[in-house]
Order: sequence, then C-alpha cells, then structure tokens
Amino acid sequence: MKRSTYLVFGGVVVLFALSWIFKSSVLEDGVYSNVWEAFKVTLAAFLTLAIFSFLYKDNPLYKFAEHLYVGISAAYWMCLAFWSTVVGNFIPRTFESLSAAFKQPYQPSSWDILGIPGNIIYIIPVLLGIMLLMRLSSKYGWLSRWPLAFIVGTTAGLNFVRYLRSDFVAQVSSTFVPLLGTPDSVSVWSSFDLNATGPVVALLSNWVIFIGVFSGLVYFFFSKEHTGWFGRTSKVGIWVLMITFGASFGYTVMGRISLLVGRITYLFGDWLGIVQS
Amino acid sequence: MKLQLLLLSLLILMFCVPVGAQEDSAMVDSLAVDSLAALPVPAPVTDIGLSDLPNDHGHAVVVEWTPSTDDGSGLANVVGYQINYGLSKDGPLDSVGFVPSASGSYEHVGSKDENDRTYIPDHTDLYYRVDVKTVDGRLLVSAEVAGPVQSSGQWYNTGRTAVLIAVALFSFLTIFYVQQAKAGKELYIRPIGGIEAVDDAIGRATEMGRPILYVLGLGTAADVATIASFTILGRVAKRVAEYQTPIMVPTYDPIVMTVAQEVVKSSYMDAGRPDDYDEDSVHFVTQSQFAYVAAVNGMMLRERPATCVYMGKFFAESLLLAETGSVAGSIQISGTDEIAQIPFFIVACDYTLIGEELYAASAYLGREPKLLGSLKAQDWGKGLFVVLSIIGIILANFGVESFGALFEVAD
Amino acid sequence: MKRQAPFALVFIFGIFMVIQFFVPHETSENAYEFLLDWIIIIGIFALALGIWSLFKVSTEKIKNRKEASEYSYITLIGLFVMMAFGFTQRTGESWGLYFIWILLCCACIVALMTMRASVDQGKKRMWAIGALVTLVGAIVVAIFDDAWQFYFTDPQGFENTMFRAFFDYVMMPILATMFALLAFFIASAAYRAFRARNVMASLLLLAALLVMSRFNPYLPFAEYVAKASNWLMNVPNLAAQRAIVVGIGLGIVGTALKVILGIERGYMGKG
Repeated sequence: MKRSTYLVFGGVVVLFALSWIFKSSVLEDGVYSNVWEAFKVTLAAFLTLAIFSFLYKDNPLYKFAEHLYVGISAAYWMCLAFWSTVVGNFIPRTFESLSAAFKQPYQPSSWDILGIPGNIIYIIPVLLGIMLLMRLSSKYGWLSRWPLAFIVGTTAGLNFVRYLRSDFVAQVSSTFVPLLGTPDSVSVWSSFDLNATGPVVALLSNWVIFIGVFSGLVYFFFSKEHTGWFGRTSKVGIWVLMITFGASFGYTVMGRISLLVGRITYLFGDWLGIVQS
Repeated sequence: MKLQLLLLSLLILMFCVPVGAQEDSAMVDSLAVDSLAALPVPAPVTDIGLSDLPNDHGHAVVVEWTPSTDDGSGLANVVGYQINYGLSKDGPLDSVGFVPSASGSYEHVGSKDENDRTYIPDHTDLYYRVDVKTVDGRLLVSAEVAGPVQSSGQWYNTGRTAVLIAVALFSFLTIFYVQQAKAGKELYIRPIGGIEAVDDAIGRATEMGRPILYVLGLGTAADVATIASFTILGRVAKRVAEYQTPIMVPTYDPIVMTVAQEVVKSSYMDAGRPDDYDEDSVHFVTQSQFAYVAAVNGMMLRERPATCVYMGKFFAESLLLAETGSVAGSIQISGTDEIAQIPFFIVACDYTLIGEELYAASAYLGREPKLLGSLKAQDWGKGLFVVLSIIGIILANFGVESFGALFEVAD
Repeated sequence: MKRQAPFALVFIFGIFMVIQFFVPHETSENAYEFLLDWIIIIGIFALALGIWSLFKVSTEKIKNRKEASEYSYITLIGLFVMMAFGFTQRTGESWGLYFIWILLCCACIVALMTMRASVDQGKKRMWAIGALVTLVGAIVVAIFDDAWQFYFTDPQGFENTMFRAFFDYVMMPILATMFALLAFFIASAAYRAFRARNVMASLLLLAALLVMSRFNPYLPFAEYVAKASNWLMNVPNLAAQRAIVVGIGLGIVGTALKVILGIERGYMGKG
C-alpha cells in the first residue's frame, strides 16, 4: 500500500474516534449502552460516506467499504441459505431423525410420485448437488454438466410455455381496439370534445396504439431488409420506442432522488443530529 | 252549472287520489314495517346441481342452484346463501362459503394436502346443502341435501388450448426453417449495430493492451436472457483468445459462474489456446446485488477495461455499471430484456441491444444456419401477431367480441 | 456420452415442463413442485462452489501480490467474521472472550495469507509461527470459554446480536448508499444524453421532460402538462411496451425452444 493510503486511513480512524466519542456523549443509554449504539451509528455513517466518496474517484476508503461489503454479504447469504433453506425447509422434509438432530419439526411431504415417497425423492437433488461439486475435480468435472442440464432444461421448458402465454397469446386480444369509433359512438363526429375521456381522444389514442404496436414490431423484424416502406415504418417504430424509453427514464428519476434524500436524512439526522429524522 | 260541478268533482277527485295513495302507501309502509318484524320464511333454493370443477387438479366442486323466488322479488328478504358440505348425506355438513343474493353458483376449492383443514378428498362421495340467509340475520336450513358428487383431476386443461396451438405452430415454424437453413437456403438477417461493434471493440482492447470486462447480469442460469448471454460470451471469448486479450467475467450467481467457466474454457480450446485460459478470470463475487455492483465498479476503475459488455438480466444497478464504465473510458455494449433498464443503457452505453435483439445476437454472431432458421420463425410469429391483430381490430369495429375470447387462457 | 447425455437431459426435462403446463392433474403438479424445489437445493451446493471461488480468487490475489491485494484481506476477514457470527451465539449475558477469539482467528487468517504470499523463507517461517500461535490461541479460547459456543444444528446464529448488527449497520447502509448513488448517476447520464444530437435523442428528451413535469404544479399550464403526460404514459408508452414485450416474449420462446431441441448449445461450452 502507498504511504498516502496509510495517511488517509489514519486520518479516517482519528475522525471516526472523535465522532464516536461525540456521539456517545450525546446518546442516552437504551437497551444497549450508548457507547455501543454510538459506534454502530458512526460506523454506518462512515461507510455511507466511503461509498459516496466514489463519486469523486476510486479511493482507499471506497475500496475498503467495497471489499468489506463483498465479504460480509457473501457470508450473510451463505448463512441465510443454510439456516433458512437447508435447515428450515429441506431437512424437515427428508428424515425424521435428521429433523430431530436439527431441532426442526418433521414435515414430510404428503405427496409422492408414482408411489415413491417425497422424502426419498429429495435425495435426487442432493446427488445432483454433489455432482455439481465434482466441478472441482479435473477427472470427474464432466459430471457437473448433468445438474446444469437439469436446471437449464427445466427452466427452458417452463419459460417456453409461460412466455408464449403471457407475452404472445394474452397480448393479441389486448390489441383489439376499435379504429373506426365504437359501435354506438354516433357522437364522435358530432362532438369534437378534446377531453381525455372523450370519444375523439379515445379514437385517436386507439390509432396511436395500433400504429405504435405495428411499427414497433416492424422494427424488430430481423429477416427482412429495412428499406422502402418497411424501412420507413421501422423508423416510426424506433421513434415510438424512444418515446417510451424517455417516459420510463422520466418516471424513474423521482424515485432515485428519494433514495438520496433517505441517505442524506440519515447522515444529518441520525448521525449528526442536525435534522430531526 | 252541471259542467262546473263535474269539473269541481274531477278536481276534488284529482286531489283525493294522491292523498289516498299516500294513505295507502303509508298503510303499505306500516305494513312493511310490521311484516319485517314477523317476516314469513323465504322460499328455499331449488335445482341444486353439483359437478366436478373442470381443468383443475381435483379437490374442487362447482355447486349451482336456482336462487330463491324471494331473492330480488316476492318477499325480497334474501341477503345471501351459505354453502355447506360433508362426506355423508345424514352426517354433519360444515359451512364452506357464503355468496351474496342473486348468486347462483359457488366453486368449492379445497386443498390437495391431506393435513390441511380445507382438504377435499378426490373420488369420494360429497354432499352439499345450500341454506338461505335472510335480511334479519336468520339462516334457514334447507331440507334438501344434494349429492353425491365426486371430484377428480383432469389430464388436459382445455382452457389452455390456445397456448397449445401456439406451441405447435411455433415449434413447426422453428423446425421447418431450421431444416430449410440446414438444406442450404440463404437466410437474410439485418445488421444489429451493437453486435457488429463487438469485433471492433475487442480489437481496440487488444491495441490498448487493456482487458475486456464481460458482465452476465444478475440473472440465474434459469433465465433465458442469461442463456443468450452465454452464447455471446462464447463468441467474445473465442475472439479474445485469438487476440490474446485478457478477459474478466465476474459473476453474480454461482451456477452462472460454473457455466461461464465451461463456456470460456471451451472457447479458448476452440481458438487453439487452451493454456492461455485462466480459471480465475471467471469468478464468483457475491449474491448480493449492490455488493456485486460495488465490486464490478471497483474492477472497472482499477483495471480500466477497454470494452465493457453487459448482456443479460439487469435491474437497478444497470445505470451504476454503465456510468462507471463511461468514467473508466470504456466502449460499452449492452443488451437486456428488462424493459425498465433499457432506457438507462441507451443513455449511458455506446451500443444497446433492445429486448429481442439480445436473443437475435447469438444467431447474428455465429451465422449458424440453425440459429438463423429459428430467427425466421420468430419473425413469422410477429407477422402472425400483426395479422391476428388486424383481424381482431376489424371485427372489434363491427362489435364482434367472440374473436378475442379465443385467446383467453385459463389460469 | 459425456457430451450427449446432458443435452438429452435438457430435452427430457424441457419437454416434461411443456407437457406439465397442459396437465392440471395432481401428479403433474406435484412433479412440477418437486422439480422447482430441486433447483433450489442444487443452488445451495452451487453457493458453496461460489464461496470457494471467492476465497480462491482472494487468496490468489494476495499470493501473487497483485495491485490492491491488501484489500483481499478485508474480504476474507469479512467473510470469516460474518460466518462466525452466523454459527455462534453467547450462552449467557456476557460475551466472555468471544471477541478475543474473533481477533485471534482474523490474525491467523492474515498470518496464513501473508505466509503464502511471502517469498523470503525467513519471513515465511515467521508468519507460519504467528499463524500457529494464533490458531492454538483460538482453539484454546473456543474450548475453555463457556460464555459462547458454536451452533450448527440450531439457528442461534440468527439471534446473534453481532450478526444482526453487521446486517443493520454495515450491509444496509452500504446497500442504501449504493442505491442513492443512482440519483447522481441519473443526472450525469441525463446531461450526457440529452444534448439532442439527433431526432431519437430529442424524442427521448422531450418524453422524459414531459413525464418529469407532470407533478409540478408551478409550471405554466400545469394542468395540460399533467394531462399530456398521462396520455403519453397510457397511450404511446403502452403501444411501444406491447411491441417490446411481444418481441422479447418471442425471443425468449425461440431461445427456450432452441435450448430444448439442442439447437442452441453455447451454454454447455463446446457444442
């Protein structure tokens, strides 16, 4: 590490200590001691500032926070997977003795497949999991492709029908909009009301939907050259797509700003106590 | 004189009739109030019909009946119906549901788990009774117990026939055009800007002596977008191996890491450089969204890759990645099917594959006839969508709604 | 066999899931639920592989003395400490020598990694002795300190206040701050992109501005801006979204079918 890095860390440690002492003196004892509470709040604030420092440039503080976060989060998910999924979900469904050893209530599956009880069937994914670990062996590494094949095949079949239903079949009927006025809209041409809920705007909107969907789909045609009328329609399509992307962008901006407000409130409120949070 | 008397009588009659009517209505009102206190019993339901619920896994029965004649007419004192069920005609029947007045049917859906309180056994005689509930809170137990009926699961869901037709059609089109492509028929594919730039971007990285960063996104190996990304990774890795440019592939999911290692290793072997493959170039980071992004951002700013390729499933972190890549001075090529993230990639990246272009990219890169053939099938799918939409729109203008009903799919 | 068997498995399970969609019978539904559970269980083994990969990469960075390899110590210490918290818990009110044990273990990890990275034999020996001493110390503390213990069959680790504290005061603040960075990045992205170099950028800019303005009551003609913005969200936005959704849907369907039929084999490596 460079000398400047040590200086930066040294400075941060001093500031941290000062902030901790200040916060301890301000906080009152609750369930836990004020010193411990002050430490936690100060640590959270410094880690927040370390991440914000990324906006300036990559620096030792950000690197520290990043590497700490990677290590802690990986371990967190490992613990969660073990306790929640393995111990909480999987073991109670296998064998009673195993459930008792892990102090979990035995909950065997009441279903079976072709007469084979559920708890026996659960051995198969364990075997597949062990085959996946064979990846670490150069001799038996090819076995790890079998569980991958199972996962990819199962989800490919699932996605095939699911998306065909939701993104194709269900979308067809949603596009059936009247373009020549509703059957009983005699008043369309007699009343040129530009009210958003009026029949004129509704009709124009239907035309926009039709043109938008049609031209958008033309843009995504790959097996025909985009020239002539096809090309012009494709161009209209990309314009409509840009409108939707702009709308999506604008829609998200406010949500993102509110996240920043949340962190600033924590720093100025919970940590520095300047603002009442 | 007589005429005046006649007119006067008529006038008097005109005033008396409304008053009389008021008195009558008052009498009727007082009668209604009186009758509320001592309401006669409404007529029971009739014609109870029981049938197995179709297109389900069993453990469900449809109960239908003709509403009481006093529901909405007559005494008009029915507030709803309580449905009761049991395993024996003479045995206890428990309440399983309540529907408001004017209803004539109820779906009794139970659990398939034997240990569940709402379990309904299949292939077993079941009995039902429909009781009437009155306005004044009385529950009138019906004398009629209908049954027996047996529930069972079906082996084909007729409500999903539209999807079955779509599956058959799409599969036929795919297989047909793949066979055509294998037979040597030329299939055109329009240029996709982002993919054409990949080769140039890899060349740039080689010239600058800087690595290439490939991000597979936050999807799992189960996501189709990630599978498409694997194919693109394979092509990129092969080029990278040929040019001897370093590649970095940090992964979010451990299974994705396993597959990516296999893909990159195979690409190096295909390029005739198996010894150049560094297993640590494809590694797992963490399964936490922002920890992963923090690590990749750090990697970008330290390693300064010449090219960043983002292909797969991305969420809120898409903008973080793209902006950091921009600060690092990298050429950025992205592709995702997450509609909400496409605008951010378009704004921050040099090239973006929008939605379906990500899936077309694998065919475009390899130019394999089989892959091009399936792309043709996808285009036919879009064409079919347009044709069906036009037919539906024309019919909608004539008020024909039944065409749209053909595309409804049961849950 | 080694290469073809996986593709056969892909086909079998893929076709099964397609058929299962049309068969509502209980047996089919049970099989579907079993298969989804299997994926979760296999995922746990994969997570173990992933942790091993992270550990290996970090240790290799330290060993090869790559740039900024010192921070890999932080990753390894964070990994160990959080895992230790997840599988230990105090037995009474006091922590006893628990934190001394944590420090000894961290020191042992640092010593082992540094020993591995050392080139000089003398330094290597010194670090090895240091690692051994700290390891012995940690074992002694673990055996003789009754204030805390390991829990591998009881999820007491979840109740460990340190586990909770690290989640609340380390993980969550960093996560929230990373999210908050988006506010800055969205502004910089907008500045770069909205210079209206061409028609498409102009359309994107105008649509974004219109949507951003819809809740602003101080603009002139605010009511019409809000109406126009709502119309934009509900009509052209809907049209384009539908086109994208249909395209993506067909893309997913096409790719899934290619995977099932074995036409697409890139995900298995050479194929």
